[in-house]
Amino acid sequence: MDFATLAAQLNAGTILPEGIVITTLLVVLVGDLIVGRSSNRWTPYVAIAGLLGAIVALYYQWDLSDPISFLGSFNSDALSIVFRGIIALSAAVTVLMSIRYVEQSGTSLAEFIVILMTATVGGMFLAGADELVTIYVALETLSISSYLLTGYMKRDPRSNEAALKYLLIGAASSAIFLYGVSLLYGLSGGETRLSVITTNIAANNVDQSIGVVIALVFVIAGIAFKIAAVPFHQWTPDVYEGSPTPVVAFLSVGSKAAGFVLAVRLLVSAFPLVSEQWHFVLTALALLSMILGNVVALAQTSMKRLLAYSSIGQAGFVMIGLIIGTEAGYASMIFYLLVYLFMNLGGFACVILFSLRTGTDEISEYSGLYQKDPLLTLALSICLLSLGGIPPLAGFFGKLYLFWAGWQAGAYWLVLVGLMTSVVSIYYYIRVVKMMVVKEADEMSESVKNYPASDWNLEGMRPLQVSLIVTLVATSLAGILSNPLFALANGSVEKTPLLQSSLNTAQTALVDQSVATSSTPAPL
Amino acid sequence: MLSLLIWGPLFGTALIALLPAAVMTPARARQIALVVAAGVLLWTGYLVMQFDPNLPGLQFRESLSWVDSLGLTYQLGVDGLSLPLIVINSLLVLMALVATDLNLTRPRLYYSLVLILEAGVAGAFVAQNLLLFFLFYEVELIPLYLMIAIWGGAKRGYAATKFLIYTAISGVLMLAAFFGLSFLSGSHSFDYDGLQAQALPMATQLVLLITLVVAFGIKIPLVPFHTWLPDAHVEAPTPASVLLAGVLLKLGTYGLLKFGFGLFPEAWQLIAPGLAVVAVINVLYGSFVAIAQTDMKKIVAYSSVGHMGYVILASAAATPLALMGAIAQMISHGLISALLFLLVGVVYSKTGTRDVTVLRGLLAPECGMPLIGSLMIVGVMASAGIPGMVGFIAEFIVYRASFPVFPIQTILSMLGTGLTAVYFLNLVNRVFFGRMTESLAQLPRIAWRDRIPSIVMVVLVIFLGLQPDWLVHWSKSTTLALSEVNRTATALMLPDSEP
Repeated sequence: MDFATLAAQLNAGTILPEGIVITTLLVVLVGDLIVGRSSNRWTPYVAIAGLLGAIVALYYQWDLSDPISFLGSFNSDALSIVFRGIIALSAAVTVLMSIRYVEQSGTSLAEFIVILMTATVGGMFLAGADELVTIYVALETLSISSYLLTGYMKRDPRSNEAALKYLLIGAASSAIFLYGVSLLYGLSGGETRLSVITTNIAANNVDQSIGVVIALVFVIAGIAFKIAAVPFHQWTPDVYEGSPTPVVAFLSVGSKAAGFVLAVRLLVSAFPLVSEQWHFVLTALALLSMILGNVVALAQTSMKRLLAYSSIGQAGFVMIGLIIGTEAGYASMIFYLLVYLFMNLGGFACVILFSLRTGTDEISEYSGLYQKDPLLTLALSICLLSLGGIPPLAGFFGKLYLFWAGWQAGAYWLVLVGLMTSVVSIYYYIRVVKMMVVKEADEMSESVKNYPASDWNLEGMRPLQVSLIVTLVATSLAGILSNPLFALANGSVEKTPLLQSSLNTAQTALVDQSVATSSTPAPL
Repeated sequence: MLSLLIWGPLFGTALIALLPAAVMTPARARQIALVVAAGVLLWTGYLVMQFDPNLPGLQFRESLSWVDSLGLTYQLGVDGLSLPLIVINSLLVLMALVATDLNLTRPRLYYSLVLILEAGVAGAFVAQNLLLFFLFYEVELIPLYLMIAIWGGAKRGYAATKFLIYTAISGVLMLAAFFGLSFLSGSHSFDYDGLQAQALPMATQLVLLITLVVAFGIKIPLVPFHTWLPDAHVEAPTPASVLLAGVLLKLGTYGLLKFGFGLFPEAWQLIAPGLAVVAVINVLYGSFVAIAQTDMKKIVAYSSVGHMGYVILASAAATPLALMGAIAQMISHGLISALLFLLVGVVYSKTGTRDVTVLRGLLAPECGMPLIGSLMIVGVMASAGIPGMVGFIAEFIVYRASFPVFPIQTILSMLGTGLTAVYFLNLVNRVFFGRMTESLAQLPRIAWRDRIPSIVMVVLVIFLGLQPDWLVHWSKSTTLALSEVNRTATALMLPDSEP
């Protein structure tokens, strides 16, 4: 094999965005080592520039003619591009939010950024990984960095507790995932590429074996842990409550998006033979997540726990798109994750700002905030109402699209449960809004009474303000001006061969089914 | 042209909310809100002038594509059904703003919310796309919630949350029905025109229609779903009560006629007798409960429940005349209940109580409130259907048109008119006649600001009672066209019913 063919097979240009992130990461790491503490002034901005550069590089990859690279272990198709974009963008916003937060806690900022960017790299590779070993390595990169981030506040015992919990549960789930993957490897006769696994399993005549189902269950357990679907959600509230808030923001958006793309790729390409089973399992997970996440959120008193349960419920909504598996379904899932990125990060930016100024995350401490800080009140209200699906905010359109796609695919129960639980969710989101807006001056909480005057000129506050404004504007307008986002979501589904082929097989299956049922009278 | 009804108030909101506090003093916020609302009312008047009542279809149409993947388009238009409701929306918002207390806390937030509310309601009345209607229907949720929760009475948190949950459930049911309709009819678009021609199996139509009836029934409110209304009314500040009773309840009846009757004319035939029975229950239940109340606002609120029953009765009958009666009753109820809530609000703000067992003799010419008392008597007479006022016209049309279709139900509903006289005369007798309570002898002066809205309402109530053609001629062609659809539906069904 000469060099030219090898280079063509490697096709290394596809990971240019990841390359940019890694280079930036090294610059931050080395720069911090050389310059010392004063590097804090520029490292965050270098990191953001790198992440945005990666997004620009992703943009230029949109029309890539040959997305397969590294001998088939990485697939830079349109699906992966969108998800890598989501992950990189969420990391960039997280960096903006974390500058002040990390500095106030007295820990090193550059290290934090380096670990966060490592997690980002892991997530981005996971979005495109097309081969079992790559998947596992990328997943572990993301997970281990996440454990580190969770425990980053070394002196805070709750942060340590969160990290330990996350590590133990995460390690167990990744072991289970690995076991499922190893079963796949064995059943397919030693094959690791996702696209070949199915054909090999079918060729080896083990497609009806219990082994495939067990592999499926184990793999789903691993994925459900990442996206925090019930009943694999138990870590979420504790970890969210104990971790540094910017980390929670990243976990709830970036890490979750990585989990979803893994779910799409693995389930669609490696498990079409047991698609009935995985649809059943995921439907159960989605129903449980929507119901439990939204109902338990009602009883929370801590803002971070509330957002933890709300993110479990939101994951349930997103899973509808994955389960129905139609073109509109995948597109609505991507669209929802895009708007979820803005509204959830916006919500966390507000929580960070509030806790920086008052040092608490209790919901009751928010009471009367309107009198002291109208901007923060407006931003948090908008983000929460958007999460609740109130028009004309972005979340309303996201939910509408998800539910409409679900309805078109005949997933009536999922959609009805989704609709009902979103009524429940409006109740707990508005409870916070009410706390902030409705309470009179004499009902103000202690923290709000002692609320410091807004000073945006403090070190690291400007970036936080920027992230707040950007997410606020995006949440308000992404719904009304949603056509570009719709085009992006639909385009990425159209341009992804993997999803297209699964759609075609699903369509033929549907035709077969309708031919089979047409002789019997349709039930009403 | 219609867009201005939506974007005008929103522009006002942006102005009030976003300008710095130094520029935007409370007085200036009020001025801007008044100017915007007056401008919208003038614009509505201009639209009425331009409106051609002889055309049955939609006028002033606007059509823009919006989100294609969802089938959501920006389609606006008015017909004889929505035009009167738009007028009453613009009018009542202005009146509610005039009647607003000058020393209100958080004026900027308040005026912004009222204008958002106006935009949302106007948008819902002109939307010709089902999702667009749903969007505007939900937009109105949060502003009204906040108005009740911030400026409401003692139990405002409870009332506001109850309102929020009921309305959110109503919205969800509506969305489910809209999804079902669009998907099952295979059009994959939510444009009203496209969906009108649907030909679904009757069983499916019934399921969808009943879902819609429940959804809008929460808003109207129909009797088993009405419990949010008295709470919301009692706790809400006067302007919010005015808007809630005068305009927002009409979203329910409008939706029922437009999307229930308009999209499912055949299934409507089947459920009409049931609806008529529900209407009777509404009328009688609302009236009897109103008799037992001692809080003036609760009396007016339950009378609202009763009077919305007439609209349902007429909608169920669905002859051209009955539909006209339904529209007339919506307008008449909008004016009269707004008037009554305004007056109760004045009484409450001056005396500090709404309890009919405490208040006495407010009509006393020297130290009482004679003008308010007289206006109240006019309002009560109008509500009880005394001839010469708009209430009589509307109720007469309703009875006249419903009687041939549902004789028993109509007769039972007529009892409601008598009962209205019972509870309202009781109220007037206790509160305004007799010797004045000693403790209330020193009442603060009533500003013209408080009187003007009520006077405007009374003038309209009497004027439309004497010149009823102005009330109904906008909707003649539309109701005729609507019931044409109904008649064809009946004609289509008749061959089926014969073996």
